[in-house]
Amino acid sequence: MTDNEVIKLILQGDKEKFRMLVEQYQQMVFRTCMGFLHNKDDADDLTQEVFIKVYQSLSRFKGEAAFSTWLYRIAVNASLNKVRKSSKNLILQRLDAFFGTEKTKEVPFLPSDTKNPESILIRQEHVEWVRRALESLPENQRTAIVLSKYDDLAQKEIAEIMNTTEGAVEALLQRAKKNLREKLSSHRKNK
Amino acid sequence: MDAYRDGKLPRDIMTQVESHLKACETCSGIYGLQVLAEKVMEQEKELQPDYFLTTRVMTRIDSLKGSGYNPATAFIRVLKPVLVTASMVAAIIFGIMLGNLSRPFTERERIPVELALIDDSTIESVNILSNE
Repeated sequence: MTDNEVIKLILQGDKEKFRMLVEQYQQMVFRTCMGFLHNKDDADDLTQEVFIKVYQSLSRFKGEAAFSTWLYRIAVNASLNKVRKSSKNLILQRLDAFFGTEKTKEVPFLPSDTKNPESILIRQEHVEWVRRALESLPENQRTAIVLSKYDDLAQKEIAEIMNTTEGAVEALLQRAKKNLREKLSSHRKNK
Repeated sequence: MDAYRDGKLPRDIMTQVESHLKACETCSGIYGLQVLAEKVMEQEKELQPDYFLTTRVMTRIDSLKGSGYNPATAFIRVLKPVLVTASMVAAIIFGIMLGNLSRPFTERERIPVELALIDDSTIESVNILSNE
């Protein structure tokens, strides 16, 4: 059964068919959210919100583009909105950190070959640099790099999702890599 | 750096870059961070969503359904206020038309224009003449 057929059935009132869409696309949406948020719990919550949004606006899906393209657009927009809201709350987080009430941030990526506590801490710090560098990229560069690296999409597909040309996507990816390199170098110099 | 990491450089240049990275702490540090960036992205990509995600989504959808939400009728629900307004306007227009129909009939409307122009107020009454 094609996506369009499933959507037709859902719109006719067979809501259980939506389960099929969630099961099929949850990994894809989760990866996109993870690429923007870098936190599993936040990505889980946002993935759920994305699917609720999709369900609520299913009647607006015209079928002109592939369902996955439409879903990617919703996931990217929801992630960018979440990131914008988070950056607005940055002042509050800094106040929390100042008064020592901030929750400890999850850093789950520890190399399995490291047993020395000092090198674990250094690695955690480096992972944090990487995340900050990714977060500081301009929105369009960040979107292009998330869709390319996390979702393994071809430039053509990224162009369709971002509503731009393949050439523009290629330029965005090049700039994103250059920016990332510069940001990581400056982090290292500042340390 | 990207070309070196992807092994896309010619063999002799690969060797040169490799020996430079061994000797230069700055370049090897930056290269190490780039490799780490790739690793962070790879590891984040490998994470799986919550096992109960589908159940959570379907429960939320059921609660929406309980509150009367249905995407198929969403369009009609948006259209409802428009339909109510349109029917009210139609009722008012119908009322005005109905009111006009029951308006009292005036003689003036039936008298031809030529006769209406004749002022007969000065003509004496037939009754008065007969009494004389």
